[in-house]
Amino acid sequence: MIEAYIIHLLILICIFIILSISLQLSIGFAGLLSLAHIAFYCIGAYTSALLALAGVPFWICIVLAGISAMIFGFLLSIPTNKLKGDYLALATLAFHIVVYAVALNWTGLTRGPLGLPGIPRPSIFGFVFSGNLSFLILTFIIMLICYFIAKLIISSPFGKALGAIRDDELSTKVLGKNTFKMKTYALGISALIAGIAGSLYAHYITFIDPSSFHLMQMVPILAIVIIAGLASLRGTIIVSIILVLLPEPLRFIGFPSSMVGPMRQIIYALILILILLYKPKGLFGKIKLG
Amino acid sequence: MGIFTQLTINGLIAGAIYALVAAGFSLIYSTCKFIHFAHGASIAFCGYFLYFLFSMLHLNFWLSVIFAIIFAGLLGYGMDLLVYKQLRKRKASPLILLIASLGLLIFLESLILVLFGADIKTIGFIRVTQGMEFLGARITQLQVVIILVSIILFVLLFLFMKRTKMGKAMRAVANNKEVAEIVGISSERIYRWSFIIGSAIAGIAAILVGLEQNLEATMGTNLMIRGFTGAIVGGIGNVPSAILGGFLIGFAENYGVWFLPSGYKEAIAFVILFIFLLFRPQGLFGIKKLVHK
Repeated sequence: MIEAYIIHLLILICIFIILSISLQLSIGFAGLLSLAHIAFYCIGAYTSALLALAGVPFWICIVLAGISAMIFGFLLSIPTNKLKGDYLALATLAFHIVVYAVALNWTGLTRGPLGLPGIPRPSIFGFVFSGNLSFLILTFIIMLICYFIAKLIISSPFGKALGAIRDDELSTKVLGKNTFKMKTYALGISALIAGIAGSLYAHYITFIDPSSFHLMQMVPILAIVIIAGLASLRGTIIVSIILVLLPEPLRFIGFPSSMVGPMRQIIYALILILILLYKPKGLFGKIKLG
Repeated sequence: MGIFTQLTINGLIAGAIYALVAAGFSLIYSTCKFIHFAHGASIAFCGYFLYFLFSMLHLNFWLSVIFAIIFAGLLGYGMDLLVYKQLRKRKASPLILLIASLGLLIFLESLILVLFGADIKTIGFIRVTQGMEFLGARITQLQVVIILVSIILFVLLFLFMKRTKMGKAMRAVANNKEVAEIVGISSERIYRWSFIIGSAIAGIAAILVGLEQNLEATMGTNLMIRGFTGAIVGGIGNVPSAILGGFLIGFAENYGVWFLPSGYKEAIAFVILFIFLLFRPQGLFGIKKLVHK
């Protein structure tokens, strides 16, 4: 029993790490404050779930989930490329609300609020990841891949140029970098990773409905990135682990289960505000936000 | 013809509420220069506070309304004092204030869920009436009250901004904070009062909505989204244009139902917001220099 619970937490931690790395790429390394990452996560989850329910093998589902999220990332980035700061935040928020409304209302495709039940557990070349332990191993490997891709991007010349755009876009342009293209790629790659996290989530829970992708879900991952500090991958991982585990004791001190969700949000929101007040660079970050 | 008048009336009612939210939102934005998402929390909390006083404590209705509006103002004041003022002292960028306001919104909304539970609440002061006929469309007395109250408030707000010393000081800070401070206006005091007045207006919107519909913890977010969309469409730094923008969103949503399923109402507002952010970020009636700082 307790083993199953720990494995469940570890899977959640891995999914959160992937999602937070994706948001960290966008906010921390490219300086794009996006509120749309839950929308990319949602697009990935629905793409993967619908394909899997149509009988497509898992590895194609997860790749296409990433790619479809990436295409939406490009589509969002191209028009919003010139926007900065709070205007970019609003435009990405608008994108989120539209995606959420489509998930809720396009009942022909998504079954709306009824959700999509019975998403099959992943199987690769005949091996079915039906147990949670095998699923944890799969998630962990995918998390490692995402981590190394992110690390590769950051240390590449492309990643350095992204940092330059974040710190001073005009100067980077003057140096002859195509900032439009780079920002578009950055958001696209970031969306791709979020889409993969969505696919893993859908295949793990085996049921998705729009309520899993509400704007409220943005708060934990935004909190992770801000608390970890901008442009710190190591910090992102450590803080993801802490923040997933932190509200867990609530379950054991006799809170009614309907209260656990709101209490969790309260904890995340409070920590977020306190960090902004007392340690605005985050625990591991070196760069100031905005 | 009947459907058209009905949609127009519905648009006017929705628009009146959105315009109230937009007015408070833009009042705060114009002076403080950041996006105050937690405006939605002021709305929801005020609605629930009225429910608490009137339906749970059985206080006199009008007394409850007055207390609820005062409470909304105090909530705005509290948020400014405890969070935003502290952040300003530490020279936080507008982006940090925006993230903090998102945190505040989620914090207060979840607090409502913890305090009152997730089930839908009704204030139940006014019984649902059949309404009267007007050019082939139906409108209830309460809806007439909503439109009248909001129009009176807009006139009062307009007079306040144009005639009173405080209103003029607010416009001065909105226009140029440094110059306003040189002539002896305390910008901190203006920020404080924009939060109090803006949140109280949001509270009035919450009461009007709460009388007509049910209360939900997420009602604030939904209204706030429409409100700030309206504010941006009209021109965010200027209260009268934000009010017009709020009405425009009300009409756009209701005429949009002609073409789209009603579930897409929220998306309509946001598609409009997206288009405006891209092509006319200063809004319909805004002046360009206010936006690009």
